Amino acid sequence: MARITIDDVTKRFGEGDESIVAVDDVSLDIHDGEFMVFVGPSGSGKSTLMRIVAGLETQSEGDIHIGDTLVNQLGPRARDIAMVFQNYALYPNMTVEENMSFGLKMSTDLSEDEIERQVTEAAEMMGIGDLLDNRPGELSGGQQQRVALGRAIVRDPNVFLMDEPLSNLDAKLRAEMRTEINRLQNDLDVTTLYVTHDQTEAMTMGDRLVILNYGEIQQVGTPLECFYRPSNQFVAGFLGSPSMNFFDGTVEGGTLRADGFDFDLTDRMQTAVGDRTALTLGVRPEDISLHDEPTVGTEFEAVVDVVEPMGSISYVYLQASNQDHDQTFIVETDGQRPISEEQTVYVDIPADDVHLFDAGSGETIHQRHSGKRPRSRSRSGCSRSVSNPATCAVVFDSQSVSGGSGPAISSGYSPIDHACKSPTTSCLPCRPGGYC
Amino acid sequence: MATQDIEPGSEQMLEKDTRETLVTVVRHGLLLLWSFIVLFPLYWLASMSLKPPGQANSLPPDWIFLPTVFNYLELVQQSDFVGAFVNSLVMVGASVILVLLIGVPAAYVLSRYDVPMERDILVWILSSRMLPPIAVVLPFFIIFRELNLFDTRIGMVLMYISINLSLVVWVMKAFFDGIPETLEEAARVDGATQFQGFMKVVLPAAKPGIFSVAIISFIFAWIELLFGLVLTSFEAVPVTLFVYSFIGSRSIEWSMLAAASMSMIIPVAIFLIAVNKYLAAGLSFGVVIKE
Repeated sequence: MARITIDDVTKRFGEGDESIVAVDDVSLDIHDGEFMVFVGPSGSGKSTLMRIVAGLETQSEGDIHIGDTLVNQLGPRARDIAMVFQNYALYPNMTVEENMSFGLKMSTDLSEDEIERQVTEAAEMMGIGDLLDNRPGELSGGQQQRVALGRAIVRDPNVFLMDEPLSNLDAKLRAEMRTEINRLQNDLDVTTLYVTHDQTEAMTMGDRLVILNYGEIQQVGTPLECFYRPSNQFVAGFLGSPSMNFFDGTVEGGTLRADGFDFDLTDRMQTAVGDRTALTLGVRPEDISLHDEPTVGTEFEAVVDVVEPMGSISYVYLQASNQDHDQTFIVETDGQRPISEEQTVYVDIPADDVHLFDAGSGETIHQRHSGKRPRSRSRSGCSRSVSNPATCAVVFDSQSVSGGSGPAISSGYSPIDHACKSPTTSCLPCRPGGYC
Repeated sequence: MATQDIEPGSEQMLEKDTRETLVTVVRHGLLLLWSFIVLFPLYWLASMSLKPPGQANSLPPDWIFLPTVFNYLELVQQSDFVGAFVNSLVMVGASVILVLLIGVPAAYVLSRYDVPMERDILVWILSSRMLPPIAVVLPFFIIFRELNLFDTRIGMVLMYISINLSLVVWVMKAFFDGIPETLEEAARVDGATQFQGFMKVVLPAAKPGIFSVAIISFIFAWIELLFGLVLTSFEAVPVTLFVYSFIGSRSIEWSMLAAASMSMIIPVAIFLIAVNKYLAAGLSFGVVIKE
């Protein structure tokens, strides 16, 4: 186990004017035993950053410490790390046992018997004890994945590095292996860096997320922190499926005029907005309510464009009736709610669930409410099947329930529990993202 | 109505079955014809080598005859043949080992490292095969004579290397390109040095490719005639030249020619059958490598 410190690391590929900055001045402190997930879209620099930690790439600038050791000049073999690759990188000419024992033979002076004992132990732990004599080509994708993990854990390294290890598996196996890796990490308590572009993996697995884009860190925080208190529009849009809806607009006398509707800014929002005139309003699909008739008076009219039934929920794509441009936004509704294309509905965007972003920089200037509170959705009537019948709010510790509008990255809060705040009292454990 | 619905369906089924049978018959017929075209000359050669000299070239041919190993016994009693055979084995064997020792690491470097002007280097290597051999044989003769390599085994080994190097580099580069770099990275993370990673992980993974280029290089050198004809006289004569010697200016010793040809073919054929699986895997340029 070891702490990893990344200090002002920059990585450029190429030279001179044609160089590409893959990692841009990244500093990060990964705690001992922490499960840290690097997440971002393709080309965000997440894999490069991990490869720099592994010693497979050399940074152009900056320092990497593993434990107390400055490892800038050390090759991968001297860093006491183990890595799981996206394509598993199992040695095709070796059996499973040889694959798993290769690292021990290369990096330790252990006797053959001791190596065999450790390999058998790790293989049993991964449930591949009966595959030790097989070659990788004879194994299924899931088995290969287990071998790759087994090869990593048998070495008992200081740090695990995992580079999109689940991306080659089918959806069911991926879910299984997610749990498996989580369990392993908990059991072994080894500092783990995990790279993924899949936000579900990021949300479910990481103690903390590092969200990267264009080689720069966008936000570091717990999954729920990043989800509920995104530091900028990129993070808000990246986490959550479907993505947060964004509406560009201008501020006129306490009202945000977006294309197709007006939104009244609360006092707290106006304070945060200051003298800005151009804003982007962000609201998640699950936070918007749909009504058949105007009820609270703040709704705007919209026409259903497409309905995607997903079973328990449906995604409804809508267009505001009075908009000048064709802009579609998404609303999540109850799967059993009868709704059809071309239907006219009334859309309520609850002020408590709204984020505001600077239109130029994308920085968050106002966060949604967090903490214990009645959900606006229940106000609009879950009982009428307008939205999720059972939705969850996140309960934060007392330190966090400040309701401040500063960027989440500086809030220092930590979610401690999920609780259901809906008419339905018996809930399943909450999903990441806050739903039951 | 129901009956009418079924009947056209059954007819279609029948038609489909007939069509499939027909396709199978035609396919097998073509394959048999092709096998005959390929194998008949071999049969002709083999049967000729097993006939007494007088009977070898008789027309119409004797389809039924009493096989004899007379020609083969005659052949091995000629010390020139044994010498040429050993020459070829030694020279071709040495050239294959050397061409692999030079070509495989070169291909690996060209595949894995950012070599300046990589493409130009590859084309330059290939350019050695761009001219017809007859165009370069005279310059080679002059160079060999100046360097005292004429009619030496070392000279012929170098000659064979120059013939096969481009093949080894190009095929092995394609093969290494197909082996994921992550294998070496995994080895390095596992504690191996770069050289250990190459030796213990990459090279074994590239074994099918190495086998295939070794076999093809062996065959190319084994059947080479032109350079042997021009660059040797007594000491380093390859077996191909010895076989050729049965074609005289006035007569051709058909049965001996056939026996000598078969002696050349049989070792290669046995070798090919033995390593067939590697050849197939190797020529697929690494796509059969599974992780």
